[in-house]
Amino acid sequence: MNSNKPTAYNNRLGIKGWVYAGNYTFERYLYIGHRLSGLGLIAYMVLHIVETANRMRGEEAWQGLMALFASPPFKIIEYLLFAMAVFHAMNGVRLIITELGFFLGKPKEPVYPYSSSIKRHRPLTFVIMGLAFLIIILGGSSLFFP
Amino acid sequence: MRETRLWSLHILVLPIIAVLLGAHFAVMHYAPVFYGMSVEKAREFSTMIERGKSITQLVLYILLLAAGLYHGMYGVRGIIRELPLTPTLAKLVDVGIIAFGLFIFALGTYVTWWTYSYKIGG
Repeated sequence: MNSNKPTAYNNRLGIKGWVYAGNYTFERYLYIGHRLSGLGLIAYMVLHIVETANRMRGEEAWQGLMALFASPPFKIIEYLLFAMAVFHAMNGVRLIITELGFFLGKPKEPVYPYSSSIKRHRPLTFVIMGLAFLIIILGGSSLFFP
Repeated sequence: MRETRLWSLHILVLPIIAVLLGAHFAVMHYAPVFYGMSVEKAREFSTMIERGKSITQLVLYILLLAAGLYHGMYGVRGIIRELPLTPTLAKLVDVGIIAFGLFIFALGTYVTWWTYSYKIGG
């Protein structure tokens, strides 16, 4: 057997690695939320494209579908979708800011008590998540009480 | 280098998604707030056809479709490829995701084109 032949990578956590948050606390849970909301959004996008193709069946079929979407359960789904989009976008903005190296502070000597860049970055995380929460609430008010 | 390019493109499409998805939300879901039009009216068949006959809308929707699908499919690929896959399986995931993305893109483009070329009363 050729031992140089590449096989499955054995240094990954597999499915556990998708949800296990380790000791990274808040930011790691945001990461899980980012993934779940992203998966929800892409699943919706695909369904949305298939659903809009329904217009090719004519006006009656389209109006029937729109009447279904105006029902309360779909209003709630629509709102959840909006909330997912806002969360995903706002957390994405935070990730890009981090990626570009802003709000991480200057590198320091690793002298006890340690100061991590995650902690220096955390106030921005709270501000962005606060904004996301506000947009989600405001968006809901105009969606449910137009 | 190839992975860096793919990753960069997934970030570069973000402004397109932000602007066009924002506009889509405003037109379809927040019509009462932005256009003083009820959501029901905004989603009516005749309104939708009228909007869809604009060349600007045709181009922008296809752009949003491409940008959104690329960003989403790249994300799904990243999540799946975190699993302990063999290189062959990883390649299969890539091919599957590209094929699925292209199929959905083709369907969305066709629907947008159908709306653009729809003959009212015909």
